[in-house]
Amino acid sequence: MIATVITLIARRLLAAIPILLIVSALLFCLLRTLPVDPAAMSLPPNATIAEIEAKRREMGLDRPLPEQYVIWLHGALHGDLGQSIQLRRPAGSLVTATLPATIQLAVAAMVIAGALGFGGGLLLFHLRGTMLEPVADLVSILLLSIPEFLWGLILLFVFGVLLRALPFTGEVAPGLPVPHISGFLLIDSLLIGHPDVFYSACRHLVLPATALGLAFSPTIMRVLRSSLFDVYHEEYIQQARLRGLSERQVLLGHALKNAALPTLTLAGVQFGILFSGTLLVEVIYSYPGMGNLMVDAVRNADLPLIQAIGLTYCIVVLLINTAVDSLYLVLNPKLRVR
Amino acid sequence: MKGPLAHSLRSPKVLIALSMIFCIATCAIFAGAVAPHEPGEQNLLAILTPPEWMPGGDPNYPLGTDSLGRCVLSRLIYGARTAMLVAFFASLGAMIIGSVLAHISGYFGGAVDWVIGRLVDIWMSFPPVILSLILMVGLGIGLGKVILAIILVDWTRFCRVLRSEVLVVTRHEYVAAARLLGFTHRQTIVREVLPATLPLLITLLSLEMAIAVVVEAILSFVGLGVSADQPAWGQMIADARQYVYQSPSNLLLPIAAICFTVMAFNLLGDGLRRSLDVRLMETGH
Amino acid sequence: MAAALQACDLVVDARIGDALVPVIRDLSFELQAGKILGLIGESGAGKSMVGRAVAQLLPQGFAITAGALFFEGKDLLKMPPAHRRFLLGRAIGFIPQAPLTALNPVLTIGAQFDEHLARLGCTSSRERRQSAVAMLEAARLPRPSDLLRCYPHQLSGGMCQRVLIAMAFASDPRLVIADEPTTALDVTLHAPIIRLIADMQRRHRTAVLFITHDLRLAAQICDDVIVMYAGRAVESGPARAVLSNPAHPYTRCLQLANPSMQGDCRALYVMPEQMPSLRQLAGMSGCHFAPRCPLAMEDCQRVAPPDQTIAPGRRAACLHVATTPSIAAKAPAAMAASAAARPVLALEGVHKRYIVRAGLLGTARIVTAVKNASFSIRENEFVALVGESGSGKSTIARLLVGLEQPDAGRILLNGEDVGSASARNHDLRTKSLQMVFQDPYSALNPRRRIASIVTQAMEAGSRHADWDQRLARTRDLLAEVGLPSDLATRFPHQLSGGQRQRINIARALCTLPTVLIADEIVSGLDVSIQAQLLNLLARLRAELGFAMLFISHDLSAVRFLCSRVLVMYRGEIVEEGPTETVFADPRHSHTRALVSSVPPDNPEAPWPAFDVAQPTV
Repeated sequence: MIATVITLIARRLLAAIPILLIVSALLFCLLRTLPVDPAAMSLPPNATIAEIEAKRREMGLDRPLPEQYVIWLHGALHGDLGQSIQLRRPAGSLVTATLPATIQLAVAAMVIAGALGFGGGLLLFHLRGTMLEPVADLVSILLLSIPEFLWGLILLFVFGVLLRALPFTGEVAPGLPVPHISGFLLIDSLLIGHPDVFYSACRHLVLPATALGLAFSPTIMRVLRSSLFDVYHEEYIQQARLRGLSERQVLLGHALKNAALPTLTLAGVQFGILFSGTLLVEVIYSYPGMGNLMVDAVRNADLPLIQAIGLTYCIVVLLINTAVDSLYLVLNPKLRVR
Repeated sequence: MKGPLAHSLRSPKVLIALSMIFCIATCAIFAGAVAPHEPGEQNLLAILTPPEWMPGGDPNYPLGTDSLGRCVLSRLIYGARTAMLVAFFASLGAMIIGSVLAHISGYFGGAVDWVIGRLVDIWMSFPPVILSLILMVGLGIGLGKVILAIILVDWTRFCRVLRSEVLVVTRHEYVAAARLLGFTHRQTIVREVLPATLPLLITLLSLEMAIAVVVEAILSFVGLGVSADQPAWGQMIADARQYVYQSPSNLLLPIAAICFTVMAFNLLGDGLRRSLDVRLMETGH
Repeated sequence: MAAALQACDLVVDARIGDALVPVIRDLSFELQAGKILGLIGESGAGKSMVGRAVAQLLPQGFAITAGALFFEGKDLLKMPPAHRRFLLGRAIGFIPQAPLTALNPVLTIGAQFDEHLARLGCTSSRERRQSAVAMLEAARLPRPSDLLRCYPHQLSGGMCQRVLIAMAFASDPRLVIADEPTTALDVTLHAPIIRLIADMQRRHRTAVLFITHDLRLAAQICDDVIVMYAGRAVESGPARAVLSNPAHPYTRCLQLANPSMQGDCRALYVMPEQMPSLRQLAGMSGCHFAPRCPLAMEDCQRVAPPDQTIAPGRRAACLHVATTPSIAAKAPAAMAASAAARPVLALEGVHKRYIVRAGLLGTARIVTAVKNASFSIRENEFVALVGESGSGKSTIARLLVGLEQPDAGRILLNGEDVGSASARNHDLRTKSLQMVFQDPYSALNPRRRIASIVTQAMEAGSRHADWDQRLARTRDLLAEVGLPSDLATRFPHQLSGGQRQRINIARALCTLPTVLIADEIVSGLDVSIQAQLLNLLARLRAELGFAMLFISHDLSAVRFLCSRVLVMYRGEIVEEGPTETVFADPRHSHTRALVSSVPPDNPEAPWPAFDVAQPTV
């Protein structure tokens, strides 16, 4: 069993290599064909044409595109993702500095989305055939219609501006020490023994994570409900009842595990999208993650940085997909072929 | 003939959704006649006035003004035009590309299916928000560019979902029967497969319109959407965010407009999905 | 001592629109402890509802509205639900119809057995394991301790059914309800599974309610039978007496509609139309069988016949019981197949392999579906291809019509090789080869009207027949297959299964092909509908003259229709010859197994495959 999962992960990661190569090549070509000159942008505005030309040669921009890509790829494989034009720091180190904060936010949001989605799905299923069913159905469609950035703004307005109950800018209250050990603030604050930092970080995480979680829970909710509906039409549910099992035992012992499978597949896709959804939430809450960095890079046409962050998002999505597939393999015996 | 589409008109969900969409579409089409002001018309003497019914409200500006003294109601109405244009053309474009590839892929299978499948995989390894942002960097801002970016990002959504439906339909014996009766592949796809996938296609189209509205709002919110002189809900939100303490209604109104529109399309999609559920029809229950 | 199960004037109603229609009407019976009672009837007769009524797990819209159902003297319908649930799985066991889907796919056999035994009150998990092994062993499953670690999808349908039988008898129940326990299984498994149920029943002295559509099977296993038609018990009594000498016309007709495996090949008795649907039932008075009954008199339409005793222990609901034995089938249709005719379709050394990828890991396996198949079909000849599911029969059909291409070998149509997938070959095949598909639901496009389906060939390719021409052709074809012409404007979902299958045949006949490939076209249908179709095919052969490859697992249908038979086993054609010779003297062990799997026509005759004394395999 463990061997099959490891084989799956290994295969998935191997299959990811060509995908990443193609994605990086596409990204590279797309960004190089832009009417933006990185050489000119990386020099002061009063630079001469000759200076720009020299810089172009130095950056390798005068060579043919495939060659440029090979040079970039060579650098990338050695950990050099280029220099940010705007911030004048290595793009790689900028990504590694902001990625933990984004992961922290995404994981918190996934937990919230999963819990809300699962609970809501069970509730929706429980209400089937009652007077409340159409109401619950309508509410779930309404929830489905509010994307994460609107949730971000609504929560910010209600809990931040109106009630002043929770902070809504940054990762931690200003003035508190920000440790840098693993990069994950929640972990680091405990490592250095600063519970006040931990508490403040938690409070700062509540609104953005909830906004993201709320936006992604309705899909999980609705899929769990319809999967449960499908499963209840299956013969083995009837057979379990005929063996005298109670409705509760049928639901928890037989139906839920089967209904979880299609729900999980969808949740996997959703979590991939959720990870990129951090971008807008980070912008709204001025949260110092990769999303904010990306938006700045996009606004300033900072090509090396866009390339680095874009690729990072792809890698994370591929990893999430691999993780979900392995979990699926563990839960679905039909896929475990001897 | 009582087709499934006519049948779906009896679903209350579809009816509610269609009337909501009708309201938005009317505003979008007749924006010039409905809106009290030009959307770009500034009145620097009336900046950030609250809505009419609030203390200090100006009857000239029913929903108040923004930081440049522009009429919020008029901008909302013209914003609907932008949103609807994007929703309509972007989802139509994505649908055409996605569904053509899906039918080819699912019907023929084999190597064609493999190639299209990998193409979709590569595309989908890019989170949609990130891909559309990068595309906007490449394409530059503007209404047409937003539409193009959404088409280039979202065709995969149609392709993936429709392909599995095409696979299900193609497995039906009547599709094989059509081939045996002498139908060409093109005839089989158009006359036997497409009518069966059409309900799902329409449903997806409706859901895609909801997504397109959101993506347009996101891009405008970040400042990479339509050009600055074109009113868009996302832009209004971004502006109002700076003055959230002075004028919360400026933030909440465009949010409500987006939610209303997205809800209308989602409701339509959900209603259509249920009333067009082909599997229910085929077994005759 | 009270009967294990006793029904008194049981009524089950279904809600159709605003009306309540009785699905079961005034059903009364008594099942004594240790006996087997058979409930026989075609689909829609209401027999499965009786089983569901015991557990009170009726489908939505169905409800028990009157009568009583006693389990050992206690009324199940008046019992509190918790009390009834306590009995389920303990005192009352159930054996389902579709064993593969009746086990939870994500739990191991062990986990499901364990859950059941834990509920029965066995607290030690070691003990539960031991008794599970013992019970699986008693169900004659090989290596039971390994089996406990398996998931249902790793087991065959027969093994799943044995597991479910073991579970049903695990609690030493007083009553077991078996709902068509062999219908979903291959024919060679019928006898062993039935034998297992009979064995367990004897060992535990359990009462069994055995629900089946198969009269011959019921004659072998049941002590008593009840024949049901449209929600009513039309006849009841000791199994052998009822089935060797039916008193009700329906029982008699049903028997005559079933093609026989022994003696002369007789014609099939064809009952007209079909059992009334729930909707039609709502407005019916008199005897429900009267519209199809050959003996129906004027009074049958008016008076609902009372259930009367006709002999000690035998009851029948018919006003004219005395005339029943006069029902007889017409003379058999002539078998026309001259040996001199030239072959129209031939296979020469055809191989077909598939690469199967299973699971997320995508481990590829090569499966040989057809191995070195060679045979030919002559003009106007009906050849049968028999074998179990998965033996490669359907692959041969798909190869012949060009939906798949062979890896090796030739497919000759009128002497020309049409094996490859070129456009020319496709045209050649379309002209002279047509296929009647297996599933009457999936084979007809639900969005086309019947006229459009039947004449679909007239819009294919560059052909553009005008609508009048197509309507005229539709009328001819519908008449040909015995359907009224007003069906032309209907949609498939408005038709019954038997009618759909006729449309399916009509569509294949539209271009007047010389060869028809028919893939299991009568398997899912009721006996009376099957008889209609078999007779129709025999008549069409005489009228239109075409050859047919009749793929089936039903040997008696094959014997009725086909002059030559091919037996397929694991991708190979293992035996071939004239039908009578092959069935009378099977050479290959698999053919022998197939032939012996059919219960004898005569209820008194022994069925060698179902001999309880026989050593277990």
